Amino acid sequence: MGEPAAQRAMRSGDANVRTLPTGRLRDRDAIGSSISVREAVKTYGSFHAVDRISIDIEPGEFITLLGPSGSGKTTLLNLVAGFQSLDSGEILVDGKPVHNVPTHKRGFGMVFQSYALFPNMTVSQNVAFPLRMAGVDRATAERRVAETLEIMRLTEHAAKSPSQMSGGQQQRVAIARAIVRRPKVVLMDEPLSALDRRLREQIQIEIRDLHQTIGSTILFVTHDQGEALTMSDRIAVLNAGKIVQIGRPLDIYRHPTDRFVASFVGESNLIEAEILQKRGSTLTMKNRAGYVFSAESRDTIDVGRATVLVRPERIAVSNEPAANSTPVSVTSAIFLGEILRIEAQMDGGDPLLIRCTDMADRPLPAVGDRLHVSWGAADCWVLA
Amino acid sequence: MTSASLAALTGRPGNLDLVRRLKDPALLLLPALAFLAFIYLLPLIDLIRISVSGPSWSSYFERVFAIPLYWDSLVRTMQISVTVAGLCLLFGYPTALLIHRSRGIAQVLIATAIVLPYFIAILIRTYAWMVLLGRNGPVNKLLVSIGILSEPVQLLFNRGTVLLGMTAVLLPLMVLTIYSSVARLDQSLTRAALASGAGPIAAFWRVLLPLTLPGMGAGFLLVFVAAIGFFITPTLLGGPGDQMFAMHITQQADSVTSEGFLQALGVVLLTITLAVVAVAGRFLGFEFIWGGRKLTEATPRTTDRPAADVGRRSLSATAADFVGWPLLRLFGRLPASFGTWTVRLVGGLVIAILILPIIVVMIISFSSASYLTFPPPGFSFRWYEQFFSDSNWMRAFWTSLVVAAMSAGIAIVLGASAALGIVRSSIRGKSAIMLLLVSPIIVPPVVLGLSLYSLFLRFDLVGSVFGLAAAHAIGGLPLVVVILSASLQGVDTRLEQAAAVHGASSLTVFRLVTLPAIMPGLAAATFFAFLHSFDELVLTLFLSSAELKTLPLMLWGDINYRLNPVLAVVSTLEVLLVVAGLVLARPVLATSRKAT
Repeated sequence: MGEPAAQRAMRSGDANVRTLPTGRLRDRDAIGSSISVREAVKTYGSFHAVDRISIDIEPGEFITLLGPSGSGKTTLLNLVAGFQSLDSGEILVDGKPVHNVPTHKRGFGMVFQSYALFPNMTVSQNVAFPLRMAGVDRATAERRVAETLEIMRLTEHAAKSPSQMSGGQQQRVAIARAIVRRPKVVLMDEPLSALDRRLREQIQIEIRDLHQTIGSTILFVTHDQGEALTMSDRIAVLNAGKIVQIGRPLDIYRHPTDRFVASFVGESNLIEAEILQKRGSTLTMKNRAGYVFSAESRDTIDVGRATVLVRPERIAVSNEPAANSTPVSVTSAIFLGEILRIEAQMDGGDPLLIRCTDMADRPLPAVGDRLHVSWGAADCWVLA
Repeated sequence: MTSASLAALTGRPGNLDLVRRLKDPALLLLPALAFLAFIYLLPLIDLIRISVSGPSWSSYFERVFAIPLYWDSLVRTMQISVTVAGLCLLFGYPTALLIHRSRGIAQVLIATAIVLPYFIAILIRTYAWMVLLGRNGPVNKLLVSIGILSEPVQLLFNRGTVLLGMTAVLLPLMVLTIYSSVARLDQSLTRAALASGAGPIAAFWRVLLPLTLPGMGAGFLLVFVAAIGFFITPTLLGGPGDQMFAMHITQQADSVTSEGFLQALGVVLLTITLAVVAVAGRFLGFEFIWGGRKLTEATPRTTDRPAADVGRRSLSATAADFVGWPLLRLFGRLPASFGTWTVRLVGGLVIAILILPIIVVMIISFSSASYLTFPPPGFSFRWYEQFFSDSNWMRAFWTSLVVAAMSAGIAIVLGASAALGIVRSSIRGKSAIMLLLVSPIIVPPVVLGLSLYSLFLRFDLVGSVFGLAAAHAIGGLPLVVVILSASLQGVDTRLEQAAAVHGASSLTVFRLVTLPAIMPGLAAATFFAFLHSFDELVLTLFLSSAELKTLPLMLWGDINYRLNPVLAVVSTLEVLLVVAGLVLARPVLATSRKAT
């Protein structure tokens, strides 16, 4: 147990620098805590809800745990919150282990999927609750509640009961309650999934802006990849109790490490291809349709077969054959507004999904039409 | 459908109207309402009529309140009932939390330990306490063996045993009522309080307790109302100084001269009960009687109150600032295990109080001794042999079975049709009708028995099997209506519409869609209606004859006459019956819990 002290020293060194991977400008200095999860394990019978997860979260970072249901993301959040206890491993906040600290002494803020507003209290009583529990006197509490309600644009609702408000308003109250103490860590458990799409997008932006303002570390859980991509500094993708990949949204989207991440985050074409030759980091590959293309590879694969990710929007489409293109036949074409979503079949039977911008000179393809598609080395990503 | 469309085709609107009116589900309410009107409302009205038929309308009541015996007994009844309700609340709340917080098999076992006694006859559970606390009972033996007492003493027949027995009998009612209000809460509310920095005790005090206050109120009043009319337990466990009001009615019922005065006693008891229920219903909604949800959520008092209120508010706010909040924060320092252990200890005590007497009685039924003593000197089946070879016991046993089966039949037929009527029709005043259908639960059985007695005399029904079954069905009907209307509300009407769209007639829809969906509820309702009649004693005391003796009546006679292990045999058989019923009903209970 000598390690925490060393950790603390290291962490405090880090904290002085306060440079974030994204390098974003902040309104204030970050006040968030660092969180380190080390080899965390939580099992229910034979089910490994959290299976030896390790993750280091920087102070002030907005990190999203993304995964399908049952992937362990909520369990991990509950472990950090202290609602459940670890079977093994440890969780450090600012370098200090927290396994002996009960939830109410961890000093976090938390937003729940079901809002969890106390129905027996008004909006302002709900928001004041964490302050009163922290021993803040009434006058100060009232002032800070008013400030927070103003940030969340709830001032005129202060005296209402939660049941008199819409879902979006209730969730803003829940967020106000979570941030009123200016906690170093705010935990959010799928806070937007009960809201409709437009409201969800609006509150996504509000939460992002709020994060800029208060600088807390935010640990956000969601199963919605779009939400994760929009809001996070970093995303940790979970599957079956493990972290499959962790990185910036752009990296996760462009350079997924495996088929699971590639297909869970964004739409994808996963094309099986044979490696013909390797020159430097460039592979020359051929798929079942006989289409020969080149691809950049980051590691040592040089022979045999590999799976290549091609995002639907990276595929160039033309009505005429061009140099280095391959013909496909359209199986469905849907007009989505600014883009067309085309499902096609390559020669040899592999399906191909294409998204292209709507253009005046391009009529909506009909089923059975032949199109010619191509992609360059920079448009594909070779999966391990 | 076909006749209606034919009528429409032939252009006879009057006929169509009649057909439509005959198809109104509200008509399904009629049989149950007619039944209750004749056998329940009419006798009660008659009871009130007789009570005011003296020289002046109030002369019988003046006598009730003029005689110190009755006035003292009324005051005593109130004291005992409030104490019992308070004790039940004190011990029941932690027990409800214990059920809520346990998981898996532990939760099933704890819940069973609470529910099982709930379905065992009050008479038998009271008898178990007599065994437990008797001179040769395990408590006396234990106290002597560890040296607290030098020789066995009389622990029974005092105020303490009355309170203990009544609390034990009524605890399950309290626990189940509070549990349903705790289980209804969003679990993340407690978590939100903890995440906001509230310790377990502060979270309990500021969030859990205020939100379950209606459940606590409902539990307290249900127990209080039941306790007011209690008769069996205080008679068996109390001494001369513990007479409760309901006991006077049964004692007076034997003398013919008290006509009018007797009814006045009943009306007093009825009035108090109804007044309590009316006040409670005003605040909690009358749904509390059958465990339903109040439709309008209680809204917290908003802070934009008139200025006159400000002075008082700031006073209470100051008190909260200097006493309440610091105290709560101080409690936050207590280890989290403090609350957990309180819940476990109290819950464990309650389970012991509920289960131990039953276990002791079951063991004693196998005793080889010729008198009640625990632990038994040896084991034998002699008391079982005696029970099964005694023609009186056997005849009572069969009578009980026949009466209970008939009563369950009546209650199911009337109750199922009434439940359909209340759920599926769109008539006005549904809640008033529901209240009427369920109200027999709250009328003290003694009053009901007294009022039925004159009706039965008039129609020469005393001592008739059918009459007794019908009387028992008064109490069985509410159980059936409550259970079945809950399961009918759970049926997705879109399934029925889907079946109808695809060509099923309304009868076929009922047979293929509705009936399978409510089948578990129907089975449970049948079982509870059967059990209600099988356990019924108080009405039976008024309505049976020397030829018509039910099992509880035989037990009652024997308990008052000689306390022997044959009673333990009957008790054990009843426990086995209830256990078997619960095991059969377990899938039903599991699904209904999922639905809520």
